[in-house]
Amino acid sequence: MDKAIIVDGLAKNFEVTEKEPGLTGAFKSLFSPKKKEIHALKGISFTIQQGELVGFIGPNGAGKTTTLKTLSGLLYPTSGFVEVLEYDPWERKPEFLKQISLVMGQKNQLWWDLPAIETFELNKAIYEIPTHVYEENLKELVTLLEIEKLLETPVRKLSLGQRMRMELTAALLHKPKVLFLDEPTIGLDLIAQQKMRDFIYDYNRKYGATILLTSHNMDDLVNLARRVIVINQGAILFDGALEDLVTKYAKEKIIKATLSKEDGIAEIEKIGKVIKLVFPQVILSVPRAACAIAASELLQNFPVDDLTIEEIPIEDVIRKAFKSGLNK
Amino acid sequence: MIRKFGRFVNKMVSEACRHAVKYWSIFRISFQQEFAYRLSFILWRVRNVFQILLTYFLWSTVFINPGTQVFGYDRAKIITYVFGIMIVRALVFSARAMDVSRDVAQGDLSNYLLKPMNYFKYWFTRDVSSKALNLVFAAVEFFVLFLILKPPFFFQGNFTVLIAFLLTIILAILIYFFLLFLISSIPFWAPEIGWGSHFLITIVIIEAFSGALFPINILPHGFQTVIMATPFPYLIYFPIQVYLGNITGAALAGGLMVAIAWTGILWFSLNFIWQKGLKIYQAIGR
Repeated sequence: MDKAIIVDGLAKNFEVTEKEPGLTGAFKSLFSPKKKEIHALKGISFTIQQGELVGFIGPNGAGKTTTLKTLSGLLYPTSGFVEVLEYDPWERKPEFLKQISLVMGQKNQLWWDLPAIETFELNKAIYEIPTHVYEENLKELVTLLEIEKLLETPVRKLSLGQRMRMELTAALLHKPKVLFLDEPTIGLDLIAQQKMRDFIYDYNRKYGATILLTSHNMDDLVNLARRVIVINQGAILFDGALEDLVTKYAKEKIIKATLSKEDGIAEIEKIGKVIKLVFPQVILSVPRAACAIAASELLQNFPVDDLTIEEIPIEDVIRKAFKSGLNK
Repeated sequence: MIRKFGRFVNKMVSEACRHAVKYWSIFRISFQQEFAYRLSFILWRVRNVFQILLTYFLWSTVFINPGTQVFGYDRAKIITYVFGIMIVRALVFSARAMDVSRDVAQGDLSNYLLKPMNYFKYWFTRDVSSKALNLVFAAVEFFVLFLILKPPFFFQGNFTVLIAFLLTIILAILIYFFLLFLISSIPFWAPEIGWGSHFLITIVIIEAFSGALFPINILPHGFQTVIMATPFPYLIYFPIQVYLGNITGAALAGGLMVAIAWTGILWFSLNFIWQKGLKIYQAIGR
């Protein structure tokens, strides 16, 4: 029961028609369409416990969104087993749909020409939310997301950040137990991003909601998700704690030192790979295992004022991983 | 036993109420949406008035000499037909369900699939709200044009005929709804021809063969028989003829049978096609 999501050997293929560029290409594809099968997901498996907040990372076209769409019942799986809250998402039973929500950063459910409050009222009726519950939830969301004054403004006149907060409100009015967020911070400025992250974090904590989010934005993952699933070309490369991802794939550590004298500074490259050397600061990259020795050598042989040992930034780890392929 | 039955009735009633509230809300928001584009709506009505005027003057010219009879129609009959088109059009052709093809092609369908509601019922509700609004305007236009043109119009007084007319209208609305939805399912397989197919089928074929431009029975007999076997004339031509009292008895029963058969066939094919479509739906646009 404690498992909110079970995915086993999920595969999804798409058929796409290829078209050569230009007008001739358009004509050619009209008479002899070139069909190509794309394997968006190649048999992925994972389970997620109730109340977990899991981040999905991967480059464009890795299969993140396809997974979310399959879990919320939009896509019909080519093969494999999917279960969310003990329902088969594809059946789209009303009892199932009342417990989930999918928010897509670039697709809106709000009625474009009408004030957002109209969409909220409509969702109240569609999700059959009792009036007192609706009013309570709305009040809470509106206060948390600071959108009180915008409720009567037609949606088309809202800024992207304001609209995203409205979208989130519309998606959360029925208090879903499972929340799928696809790029929730896309296109938002830094402050709005932070607000959105705080909100997601609080929502997870407060209601014990299971949240699965995809993002390009590493800050989202570092700040929010303890567990990450790394996906590339339709296959899962890593599934586990964020720190483990770093220790497993970052073979090196970073030593930052501040020197007091410039004497013999060239010698420093014997200790480790120099990343940056601008007096008084020096940044070295050393193998994880040799880190302690390198640090003590540095302290003994050079006039060090200050020294820190750090992990490689998560973005760099992931960027490097996707470039070379994580499992190599 | 009685208490059990009472509980059952209670449950059914509350279920029905919840349902009613849901679709009433959709009706309301849809109505508001139409008003958000006031100018566009007014232009659409203006287009309708022009269409009627055009048809009216065309036929008035044909029947300029009193006593002229063409294809068994005299002036009064054809003018009544033209005015009949006005009301029946507003009832049958006012629909929003062509937007479905865009929803399918651009992936907006996802928003609806995620919600605990029936997509067909959703759009039918939106159609009904569009019909209600258009009917109000069509009635006003009818009245004004009637006062200006003072056409010889035939008011049906026979209650049985009016009931039959109502039945034909309901069937026409359903047939049109299913047809629109079927055409709108094409983008599941070919997203780029959504509007093209609507243009060809909804605008060209349906306009021509529904009787919205001319009564079907002015066509050669063989051609007529073929058209009457398709669902199209049951949208406009058939209801108007029933209203005018030109189709009664066995012909009425036969026509109703064909219309009911088409309603059933279209409903089943729509369900079949829609389920197939959903399975290959790609939910694009992120």
